[in-house]
Amino acid sequence: MVCAATALLISCQPRRWQGDQKIIILGIDGMDPQLLKTFMVEGKMPNFSALAQKGSFRLLTTSIPPQSPVAWSNLITGMNAGGHGIFDFIHRDPKTLQPYFSASRVEPPKHGIHLGNWVIPIGGGSAEQLRQGKAFWETLDDYGVPNMIFRMPSNFPPVKSKGYTLSGMGTPDLRGSYGTFSFYTDDPMTAAGAVEGGQIIPVQVEESQVTAKLIGPDNTFRKGSPPALEPFTVSIDPLEAVAKVTVQDQKFVLREGEWSDWIHIQFQLIPSMGSVKGICRFYLKQVHPRFELYVSPINIDPAHPALPISTPKSYSRELSEEVGEFYTQGISEDTKALSAGVLDDKEYLEQARTVLAEHRQIFDVELPKFHSGVFFFYFSSLDLNSHMFWRLIDPQHPEYDAALAARYGSVLREFYQQIDQVLGEVLQRMDDRSTLLVLSDHGFAPYNRSFNLNTWLLNNGYIILKSEPNLNQNQAFADVDWSRTRAYGLGLNGLYLNLRGREREGIVEAGTASDSLLNEIKEKLLGVRDPQNNQAAITRVDRATEVYQGPYAQQGPDLLVGYNRGYRAGWQTILGNFPADVFEKNTNPWSGDHCMDYTLVPGVLLSNRAIDTPNPALTDIAPTIFAQFGIPQPGGMMGHSVFSPNR
Amino acid sequence: MARPSNPAGFATFNFAANTPLLLLLALSIVIGLLMVVVFRYTSDQKAIGRAKDRLKAHLLAVRLFQDQLPVVMRAYGRILRGTGSYLRLAFAPFLIALLPITFLIVHLDRYFGWMPLHPAQTFLIEARVADPATLNDAALQLPPQLSSSAPAVHLPKDNEVVWRVVAEREGRYGVHIAAAGQTVSKQVVVSAGLARISPVRLRGNFWERVFISGEPALADNSPVQSIAIGYPPRVIAFAGMEWNWIVLFFVVSLIAGFIFKSVLGIQV
Repeated sequence: MVCAATALLISCQPRRWQGDQKIIILGIDGMDPQLLKTFMVEGKMPNFSALAQKGSFRLLTTSIPPQSPVAWSNLITGMNAGGHGIFDFIHRDPKTLQPYFSASRVEPPKHGIHLGNWVIPIGGGSAEQLRQGKAFWETLDDYGVPNMIFRMPSNFPPVKSKGYTLSGMGTPDLRGSYGTFSFYTDDPMTAAGAVEGGQIIPVQVEESQVTAKLIGPDNTFRKGSPPALEPFTVSIDPLEAVAKVTVQDQKFVLREGEWSDWIHIQFQLIPSMGSVKGICRFYLKQVHPRFELYVSPINIDPAHPALPISTPKSYSRELSEEVGEFYTQGISEDTKALSAGVLDDKEYLEQARTVLAEHRQIFDVELPKFHSGVFFFYFSSLDLNSHMFWRLIDPQHPEYDAALAARYGSVLREFYQQIDQVLGEVLQRMDDRSTLLVLSDHGFAPYNRSFNLNTWLLNNGYIILKSEPNLNQNQAFADVDWSRTRAYGLGLNGLYLNLRGREREGIVEAGTASDSLLNEIKEKLLGVRDPQNNQAAITRVDRATEVYQGPYAQQGPDLLVGYNRGYRAGWQTILGNFPADVFEKNTNPWSGDHCMDYTLVPGVLLSNRAIDTPNPALTDIAPTIFAQFGIPQPGGMMGHSVFSPNR
Repeated sequence: MARPSNPAGFATFNFAANTPLLLLLALSIVIGLLMVVVFRYTSDQKAIGRAKDRLKAHLLAVRLFQDQLPVVMRAYGRILRGTGSYLRLAFAPFLIALLPITFLIVHLDRYFGWMPLHPAQTFLIEARVADPATLNDAALQLPPQLSSSAPAVHLPKDNEVVWRVVAEREGRYGVHIAAAGQTVSKQVVVSAGLARISPVRLRGNFWERVFISGEPALADNSPVQSIAIGYPPRVIAFAGMEWNWIVLFFVVSLIAGFIFKSVLGIQV
């Protein structure tokens, strides 16, 4: 009996891995196979060329749809969106039809006791990760395999882990947004107010001094939760283009066109009793004749994180003590400031280079500490800079500017080369116990023309409005007559039926009616031609029931719209608005994209070992890791190891 | 674990980086000891013992005779009087200790209050002038190891000129400011260790100089009223919290004092 009980006890214990094997994974968001091959042929990527020559180089099948939160969730869980529940950057609540960010949710305390202008919250607020499914490093923890996971997207707040993890894309700024910059100016020609991803704030220069306020998180201790504000002063030299900035107990001098270091800000929520700490950077864009000052989104201070951004919780502080402050916001490159014209190409590029420099610094500090198990490090630079600078490498793009291209046309190559240098550092550390995987979640393509799906649905009678569409309306699906609307678009690739029993005012019956409606819309969408060039705007439409498996498969869109190369859903339609035209020229600096037909934008997979799978996919990565450590593949995972079991 | 795990945190404790903390803890403990010893020899220990015994007796009376209101009220009155007597007995030794402690804190603040600059760190030199007319004439003269990294910012509203400076390497340097035909100087400390720091040099302002400056006063006829260096204030990490050194000093020396008082049998 004792022997049997002991045997049972031992068999129930997770296997403790005791080896010196290691897997290093470089996750490079948006590395495009075509660009990579071009730069390799040009001899600009010697380390990638060496790796491809000695090991393997494959296209990596991306997710459906090919959006980063979906793709990285595929990698994390080894399942598609039906298994992890992330279908798009943007989801909707079927009961309110209001959009929300898909990967995480930060909420203030729900209840409070009101005392005059003050509110005593009952219970705390919450930061909730919305991705479902078990992360591969949680399984590694179960088997005692050490792991270090840096800046993994769709991992905020980070899942409990025995390893060292730092959250990545999806981590909000201190205001709970995906990044809100502030721009202070006395230029009367600049319209004040909210712009996408930022706030334009008018100021007055009086006696060579500007007094303004930094905008912090909503103060839930105050009635109405107004934002916490902290004053700062900019004292301007009357003649020279230089100024002194005073914020709290910090003073610094900036020349025109200069960025500050990270500045620590403490937002008082209850005077002398409660505060939260953040960090931000100032950029003095202009001093004379107009005053223009950019302040980055207030990032969570890694030394005093107001929200959980690492495991263990103290790790972000330890890291900041080692490397200094760094961007904690998930999408660190301020693409919105460039799109809004607040930063120009040169200024944005400086900021984007700083982001990569910080990532490389963290990488350089942490890689030598890795000795066995799994090391994953995520780089965002190729993705975000391909989004912003595609217009300068593609003469066909509507925003191509030959003069700008002459100055910044090599920027993407420069970022690729920096990633090649990172790979070079890794290759120097490889030994016969090491497996290296270098992969991207998707490739890239031009974004020349917008397709406004909701306008198309409106024009084709699938959406009925109560009144004429209001082009200035920012409310999602304002004036939609849901009692007569059969389908609507939301997110970058999603099309939903207004299904009875699911949507608040659903009218389409599930079953034959919904099937035939989906087939009808699919056929029509595949037949859409761009009147400008007669090209097909949409090359693929997938039924969710055919591409998703898993417990959450019913929660996503009903159709996945796959746009042709050069096309993407327009900015307004993705949030449930109705621009006037179905097709629009893309004049935004955001000029490259990948949210399209997934077969057109595969990622890359390189390894120092022979990859046997002819068409590896993102969902194969977690099974590959488990196979390397002899861990049984958990149920529900779709993929298989990309390596032959005999090798 | 791949990364060295170290629950106790001892093996990787960086003694060099934590020199200020270790020194401060040691000083606080020694001063806690000295305080109780000074108290022992400057106070009437027997009288303090009697005062405390009486207080204990009155407190006991409050507990024992809870149901007899007149007794309880009388006991409270005696507790108040006893407390006054006790404070009177403790006041003289406290005064005797106060002066050297204040002197000590002022001097320790030169070391613990601010951190020296480190090489490559930019910092500000702020000069306030007496006469606004001299604002534009004020010029900064730097030794070769320091260099200016931005044009001077002239702030007429505050009668102030600000320079941004960066140091190449460690050392104690003198920077000079020329204005209205005179030149004044200010010390700048660039060091990785613990160093005596004077964040400001002042004209007049005797008490401010005593408590903050630590440098000779500027001449009464100096065109420059003050020169400040932007040293970062020191924050000491201890027990999972960040402390101002004076708060940590008082907390540790009080705890040490209470421990030594018990060990040495001193009535406080």
